[in-house]
Parts: sequence; C-alpha cells; structure tokens
Amino acid sequence: MFDTALTTADLLFLARGAGITIIVTLISVALGTALGIAFGVIRYQVGPWWAAPLTFVLDVFRSVPLLIQLVLANAFMGVVLKLKLSGFTIACGVLTMYTAAYCAEIVRGGIEAVPMTTRRAARSLGLTWRQDMTNIVMPLATRVALPSWIGLALGVMKDSALVYIVQVTELLKSTQILITRLQEPLFLLMICGAFYFLISFPLARLGGYLERRWSND
Amino acid sequence: MKTSIFGAALVAATAIAGAAQADKLDDIIASGTLRCAVVLDFPPMGMRDDQNNPIGFDVDYCNDLAAALGVTAEIVETPFPERIPALMAGRVDVGVASTSDTLERAKTVGMSVPYYAFENAVVAREGVEMTNWEGMKGKTVGATAGTYEAIWLEGKVKEWGEGEFRPYQTQADVFLALSQGQLDATVSTVEVANANVKSGNFPGIRVVDKAPMVPDYVALFTLREEYGLINYLNLFVNQQVRTGRYAELYTKWVGEGEPADLTVNGVYR
Amino acid sequence: MFGYTFQWKQALARLPQMLDGALVTMQIAILSMVIGIVLAVLLTVFRRSGSRILGAIATTWVEVARNTPALFQIYMAHFGLASFGIHLSPYVSLLVGITFNNAGYLAENFRGALKAIPETQTRAGRSLGMSPLQAFRYIVMPQMLRIAFLPMTNQMVWAVLMTSLGVTVGMNTDLFGVTQALNALTFRTFELFAIAAVIFYLIVKVIQTAARLIAWRLFRY
Repeated sequence: MFDTALTTADLLFLARGAGITIIVTLISVALGTALGIAFGVIRYQVGPWWAAPLTFVLDVFRSVPLLIQLVLANAFMGVVLKLKLSGFTIACGVLTMYTAAYCAEIVRGGIEAVPMTTRRAARSLGLTWRQDMTNIVMPLATRVALPSWIGLALGVMKDSALVYIVQVTELLKSTQILITRLQEPLFLLMICGAFYFLISFPLARLGGYLERRWSND
Repeated sequence: MKTSIFGAALVAATAIAGAAQADKLDDIIASGTLRCAVVLDFPPMGMRDDQNNPIGFDVDYCNDLAAALGVTAEIVETPFPERIPALMAGRVDVGVASTSDTLERAKTVGMSVPYYAFENAVVAREGVEMTNWEGMKGKTVGATAGTYEAIWLEGKVKEWGEGEFRPYQTQADVFLALSQGQLDATVSTVEVANANVKSGNFPGIRVVDKAPMVPDYVALFTLREEYGLINYLNLFVNQQVRTGRYAELYTKWVGEGEPADLTVNGVYR
Repeated sequence: MFGYTFQWKQALARLPQMLDGALVTMQIAILSMVIGIVLAVLLTVFRRSGSRILGAIATTWVEVARNTPALFQIYMAHFGLASFGIHLSPYVSLLVGITFNNAGYLAENFRGALKAIPETQTRAGRSLGMSPLQAFRYIVMPQMLRIAFLPMTNQMVWAVLMTSLGVTVGMNTDLFGVTQALNALTFRTFELFAIAAVIFYLIVKVIQTAARLIAWRLFRY
C-alpha cells in the first residue's frame, strides 16, 4: 500500500490544493457570517411580511444544489453580464451567499431563543435597542447559535469541494489530477479524505462539547 | 473650467467608444496574455508532466498561437464539460481543447477551420469477448461526457436498445473505470487509446477496432461574434500546416506517420 | 440590455427530458432516505448496545460521514470500492454514497433526540415486562422519530441536492446528469441550468410542504 509513486512535488501539489480549500472556506465563512448576521437581524426586526423577499432569496440558496448555483453564477456573471471574474471570485461569492443563507437562519433562531421578558427588562432599565442587542441578546444568542455555526462552517469547508466546477483547483480536484497521472485511486483518495477528517473532526467535537456545556447551565 | 469638464467628457467618451470598438483580438494583444482552455487529461493532446505542469499537442499549439500574437500563453485547465462555460464566463480567450465542430455547438460559439482530426478506436478490457466494434452491443460502455465520441456512442446504445452508456466527467475517469472493470469497453480517439495502452497505467486494456465514425474534426473556438479573432485563427491553422509545424507537433506528441488531412474533398470551407 | 441573447425556447423544448430526470432524482432521494433511516436506527441501537465493537463501527461510520465531503463519499463508493473489486453502477454508487451520508447525519440527530427522552420511561417499560429491544421499539423510537422529524426533513432536502453529485461517477439519468448531457449538445449553459434550478427548488418546496402535512397528521395532540 505504501509502495507508491507519489513524490514530494506531488505532496506539495496536494498541499497547495488543501491551501486553496482552506482559503476559500475562510473567506466565504467570514463574509457569509457577517452577511448572515445582518440578514438574520433584519429578518427578525422587520417581521415576516416585510422580510418576505429576503426570505425567498435566502431560501433559494438553500433549495438549489450548490453545483448548479456555481454553474449559474459562472454563466451569468461571464456570459450575460460579461464581467471578467476569476473562478476563485465566483467560488467565494457563491459560497458566501450560501453561508449567509444558512447563517441567517441560525442567527434568527438564536435571537428568538432569548426570552422576550429578558429583553423587555433590559429596555425598561433604559437600555437602547443597540445596547439591548449588543449587551443582552448577543451574548445569550451566541450560546445557542455557536455550535450550529461551527457545524455550518465545517459544512462549507466540505461543500467547497464542488468549486472545481469553476476551474478552482482545490483539494479534491488536485487529488483527481494526481489520480490521472499516478493511477492509485484508493491511496490518494484516502489521503484526501484523511485531510478533511483531520480538520473537521476536532472542530466538530468542539462544537458538540460547547453545546453540551452550555445547555446544562 | 468648463473646457476642462468638456475635455474630460470628450476623453471619457473616446475611451468608451474605443473600448466598444476594440475587439477580442485587440484585447488579447493589449493585455499581453492569451488564455487558452485546454483539457489536461487527454493525452497526448493535453496532460501533465512529473512536475504537474501542462504539456501536450494542444499546449504547444496554444504556445505557438501566443507566440504568433506576440503575447505569453496561459493554460487554463478545463474538463470537457466545462470548456464552453469557461469561454462564456470570459475566463479564457480561445479554446485549444480538441473540440468537435458540430453544427449544434456552432449555434453558440464560433469555430475556426479544423486544426486536427481524430479517428476513434474501441478499447476493451481483457476478458471481454469482442472482436470488432459491434461487439459493444449489449455491453456496459462509457466515454467522456460532452465529447464527439460520447454523443456517438450514446446514440448507438439507444439504437441497439440494450447495454448501458455511462458518461464520466474526465477521460481519466473513463480509463480508470475501464481498467477497474466498471466498463466493458469505451470509445476514444486513436491517439488517446494508444497513449493509454502504451503508458501501462491501465493494465488489462486493449484496442479492439476502429469506430466507424466520420473523422472527428476538431476546431479552435472563441466567442461567436469575434470575427476578427476567428479570421486570425483560420489563418493561423493554415500557417501551421503550411510551415510544417503541424507535422512536427504530430511527430512530437503522436508518433511517426502522416498527420490527418484537414481538408474535405469536394467542398469549400 | 445584456450582451447575450437568451434562447429559452430551445431549452424549454428539452423540459420533458429534464422532468424524467427529476423523477430519477426523487427516486434516489426517497430510497436513500428510507434505507438511511433504517441504518441510522441500527447505528443508534449499536451505539446504545454497550458492545465495544458495534459501538466502534457505529461511531466510525457517523464520524466519517459527517466529517468528509459528500462528493468524496460518492467518488469513493464508485472508484474506491472498485479497488477492492466491488463494482457498483453509477446509480448504485450514488445511492450508496448518499445513503451512507444520510445514515451518519440521521444517527447523530437521533442521538440528540434520545437525550430528550427520560431514561425513566425505558425503565417503566422494562418493569412492565418488556425486553430492552421492545422498550426501544415501542417507547423510545416513536418519540425519537417525532423529535427528529424536522432534522429528517432537512436531511431529505439534502439528499435531493446531493443527487447532483452523481455526474462525477458517470450518472446521466438524474436531473443534473440530464441537464449536463443537454449542455454538451447545445452549449446553452445558462438557460438549461436555470430551468434545472427551478425544478430543484420546486422539488424541495414539495418535500417541505409534504413534511409539514405529515407532521400535522401524525404529531398533533
């Protein structure tokens, strides 16, 4: 099994793919979370009726396969609008919206989990809406939302395997390129799978730990 | 003050008008880079060397084109199904990607005159009873999604009414599936078939027969409305043959022998 | 307005083929969900069984399913298993990949749901003379499925979306596969995939509505 034609150069090639996976994930999760928090707060604040268009758009991002979102975004930006965006930009853009769509749900759930009575008490003590949001809602909602958010971030990392379709050579695509040349599918796939697992597993465990710890008290 | 605003507006207007008039050919020359879509798991047309750098017939062809234009070439790897989306998305300028010039596709993109012509071969796994191409009837066969031979083979399987057709995303996946026994046979270009059999990467496969198709003429492609560039591409293909570079590249990547005739008797194009 | 002329008519002419693909997509999603639920219940029983080996198998399954990309799992089911001489057709590979994923996620959902069911209920059942399996089957499982119903609906939606990954293993009869084959013929990428997106959206809406109806029918008090 370890009798392989894999060279150091190939390992570096894989590492570069892994780097792309991580960079795409970090950018998308960071931007997506910021957007998602904004969308979540807006949705909660303006009520279901006024938020309907936003709800619909976010729902579309959760109801259409990511692969199709990428193909469509790619075709729309390039063919229809004639913007010369790199595949990397398209990948990050789509994944950002994808993250935001799920994150908005998590944020809304978090805010709704804060008892109304607590917030009323805060306001009646003279706190402004902003103070109530930052000092009361945010700490409490974060406890509820953080474990789900970790799950979301890991989900985005795994789903980033699909950005190969817009010519971004991430980890899984790098693996496929090496399989083409070396013809050792099982061995190379194992390496690739192990990489995802090693990043995802500890963080998923951390999420589970936080969930357990915070739900008890 | 007024004149300067007027002047600025005039400059801006000329810039916009200029931008509107500059076509893709101008853009490429001005940008100094020619971005080619090349399929890199399609030996010997496109593949990677030990350092995972792109090499092959199509890669050299792109480099020649860039040299003729006086710019540097940039190879953008595109799997077969993604060639046209990559062009449409403006990620590449030209496709040098062994693309068959079908009429259906010419409705969407602009094709040059053929720059290469493939014949196709039937490749089977050892242990599968098959003496000629008709032996594929009733078997599980596959080819690379979106290629000329895949479209032909899928049609044949439908016509036979038995057996199964599976399109894979890349040529490599097809041969991997064939050597693993997921497929009984595949149809691929003679060049690819021979290169793969010879490489020894896929034990237990053999070339059975030629596939009875019209030669698969492949063309360079770009956006449909870029007549200036298409014109240039046509002349470039002509020059490649005229100067002997076509034969030279054939010998370098495919092997001894005569490269395919790129003209069709009895008709103009 | 755009520098591109849409050709909706040509793309819409292919709608019947795409709808056939949508049926295959639904079929795979439903099958993978049914088998996935059965497997997830099994994995849950394994994890509660106290057996080291069964517990280890279940935990490995759940963690691998949850911590690697679905695309990787499907690719593995086709090209990975073939290295061991196990040949699965694209349809079966896709089904196996998605089912593996479903079972892993659902087992984790079930575990969460179980926490909400007091241990005393099992003990009450046992003291009424039920075997451990009976107590699980008649007391715990119905409540578990009820609590986990919303996550199960989400997983069903995921299963539908995951069918689009079948193209990597040579699948060409599902909605995404059909769309891609049509795209290879005509190169009308935007129009074809926009139609596919609408069909996917409608499928998801149908599932969510159906789930709401089922929940109302089954779980009202």
